[in-house]
Amino acid sequence: MRVTRAVADVSALPRTVFGHRSLMWWGTLGFIIIEGTTLFICAMSYFYLRRNYSTWPPEHIFRPALLIPTIQVILMLASNIPMWWADRASRRMDLQGLRAGFLICSALAVMMTILRWFEFRALNVRWDTSAYGSVAWATLTAHTTLLVLELAETVAFTALLFGNQVEERDLSGASDNAFYWYFLTGVWVPLYAIVFLSPYFM
Amino acid sequence: MSAEAVPVQAAPSVPEEERVRHELEQTWRQPPGLLPWLKSVDHKSVGKRYIITAFIFFVLGGLEAATMRAQLARPENTVLGPDAYNQFFSMHGITMMFLFAVPMMTAIGLYLVPLMIGARNVAFPRLNAYGYWVYLFGGLFLYISFFLNTGPDTGWFSYVPLAGPEFTPGKRADVYAQAITFTEIAALVGSVELIVTIFKNRAPGMTLNRMPLFVWAMLVQAFMVLFAMPWVATATQFLAMDRLVATHFFNPAEGGDPLLWQHLFWFFGHPEVYIIFIPALGFVSSIVATFTRRQVFGYPAMVLSMVATGFLGFGLWVHHMFTTGVPQLGQSFFTGASMMIAIPSGIQIFCWIATIWAGRPRFTVPFLFVLGFVVLFIIGGFTGVMIASVAFDQQVHDTYFIVAHFHYVLIGGAVFPLFAAFYYWFPKLTGRMLSESLGRWNFWLFLLGVNLTFFPMHQLGFEGMPRRVYTYLEETGWGDLNLLATIGAVTIATSMLLFVINVVSSLRQGAPAGDDPWGGETLEWATSSPPRPYNFAYIPVVSGRSPLWASSAEMPVVTGLRTDVRDTLVTTVLDAEPDSKHRHPNPTIWPLLTAVATTILFVTLIFTPWGAVIGTPLLLLGLLGWGWPRGREKWEQQLVEGEA
Repeated sequence: MRVTRAVADVSALPRTVFGHRSLMWWGTLGFIIIEGTTLFICAMSYFYLRRNYSTWPPEHIFRPALLIPTIQVILMLASNIPMWWADRASRRMDLQGLRAGFLICSALAVMMTILRWFEFRALNVRWDTSAYGSVAWATLTAHTTLLVLELAETVAFTALLFGNQVEERDLSGASDNAFYWYFLTGVWVPLYAIVFLSPYFM
Repeated sequence: MSAEAVPVQAAPSVPEEERVRHELEQTWRQPPGLLPWLKSVDHKSVGKRYIITAFIFFVLGGLEAATMRAQLARPENTVLGPDAYNQFFSMHGITMMFLFAVPMMTAIGLYLVPLMIGARNVAFPRLNAYGYWVYLFGGLFLYISFFLNTGPDTGWFSYVPLAGPEFTPGKRADVYAQAITFTEIAALVGSVELIVTIFKNRAPGMTLNRMPLFVWAMLVQAFMVLFAMPWVATATQFLAMDRLVATHFFNPAEGGDPLLWQHLFWFFGHPEVYIIFIPALGFVSSIVATFTRRQVFGYPAMVLSMVATGFLGFGLWVHHMFTTGVPQLGQSFFTGASMMIAIPSGIQIFCWIATIWAGRPRFTVPFLFVLGFVVLFIIGGFTGVMIASVAFDQQVHDTYFIVAHFHYVLIGGAVFPLFAAFYYWFPKLTGRMLSESLGRWNFWLFLLGVNLTFFPMHQLGFEGMPRRVYTYLEETGWGDLNLLATIGAVTIATSMLLFVINVVSSLRQGAPAGDDPWGGETLEWATSSPPRPYNFAYIPVVSGRSPLWASSAEMPVVTGLRTDVRDTLVTTVLDAEPDSKHRHPNPTIWPLLTAVATTILFVTLIFTPWGAVIGTPLLLLGLLGWGWPRGREKWEQQLVEGEA
């Protein structure tokens, strides 16, 4: 046992911190890297398999429909406004604002998940038709897994915020949820371009 | 409310320190019994389980290897038939890579890193427990399948089209794909733990350039895992989908591509070697420093070499594919990149030699294993440079020369340092020393056995003996060298038996270790052996790279963390300045239940796509229980009462 000598007292340090000062922000960043890499691999596989075909989509397969996917990508980008607003509210320790923001975002997440169902149909190809169909479905599925998890987390968080067990540190958690939301919606833009737009010019 | 640490100058009084220790003990202890054991979120408890489980898999993988060596001891032997042999070599590779090497390195990191950086636990203790359970269930799933004669039989790399639905009907390749998914999740979870713990939970004053080299090694390794593991996880999902729902990723008849598998697999598979090897570099640095009583020469060069290895490790994967018809430019690039990796490895070897040269080495068992590492790794490194050359590689591809090469690299580069680490840190984990004399027998027999087993394989490779054949004809003339290799395998097995005897007898009657039996430089030696559940009564403050070799007998610490809840200190990323306080969760059963749900999801997915419909709600239920608010301090209350 070593003799100790106190050189600093940390009792006055804050317990609730935001952004890169919080542990959870770094944990979220770790999972963003993992999931970002996974989506990147789907995209790389898409381009790799493209080389096996002379036309893209392959012959006798219709190009994807664009209406629903385009609505979806716009909705996803627009959803960042209420989420950003909720993020700001959490940093102001404004519980009412946060509740409102999360309620709106929960509704948006439900809408995005429903739209996703129609996006699969908009691909106009089955997963077992050809490698083209396989990789398009896989990319969409990989992103959908993240979307469903984020939907579950956002709805659960909203319920927590409206309950009577809210802790100050939940505000920091809400902000980290927002951080993940920016990734989830932002990463869909290039993936949308690859899966839905690229068959029109590749 | 001030948001800074307030400087004070006082030694906590002895009764005060006693009180603090007593309260911390109550707050952090794990009560006896099965349920508390299942609920534990202590990094030491989880780390020890991880280490023991990985060691058991190491023994199983070793037994598989020994059985293969028995089969190959003479021509046309009948110990194993071709089908069983296929399963044995596949299980050996999968076990050693996915169930032993990576988990073992991660486990030692999860045990030691918080102790080395002055933290009380890893950043996300529940996630840590979850990672362990997923790993355990994945390993059990693989071995239960194996004992049911459904073990993978297409190699640890499971190339398509062999592993595809057409050539491997049945469930063997699906077991492979899902077992990999289990272990990848555990590895990814472990690396997020390590990165965040290292970045945010270092003791005040432990700036990045004062971090122990072992911690740097674990940081680089964890980042490599983060970027490498998703490749194999995605590849195995593609494979599973090709087999289950008739997708065509790897089916050339419908536009798929078998080479896509090889790219995805090796983009993970080559970094994997460094994921195993880099933590070993950290062991070696810790041990060299302690037993020469000198800081490792060239700290910045060592750190930069490890980081460089981390980056270069991602630029080599195509050298596993030289015989698939890679364009000329690609061949040249990957040959160059493969040779370049010898530079950071060489720098590190020279730094250790310089440290040993300038110090007064003590030839204890851990140090002997380090010397064994240097010798074996240099041999394996040289043959690595040889096969980086395309012309040479094409001659020896898929022969025993390659088997010889990577066993020298992996056993020499990772298993020898690992045994050095066992002998070095065993006293910290258990409070007892391992026997030095048994340890020396263990070392010399292991060194002899490895060379007897694997050196002849270079020659067998030159003579054209292919890998993965279950037997050979007498006329080939390969019998004598194979017998020699089998004798070597028996020697290795004997040395391992001595190690197990040493561990068991030392646990009962080994010499008491004390806190710091070797005179180490890093913070883990400032804790008791074994460490208390809270690790440090007061979080230490660090002012140099070797905090325990500082001239002052007193250890500077911070005060002010609560003792009635699991409080810990969060510091800034670069300079480790105190930044905030964080409350760790109490023990909970939910990580185990969530891992059970994960297992149900993965295993049912082998048989039906509806597994997702059954498993996903269970998984979400697990996560809901995990995050369910309980025993919380209400916000309003906190605002009124503040933090005092």
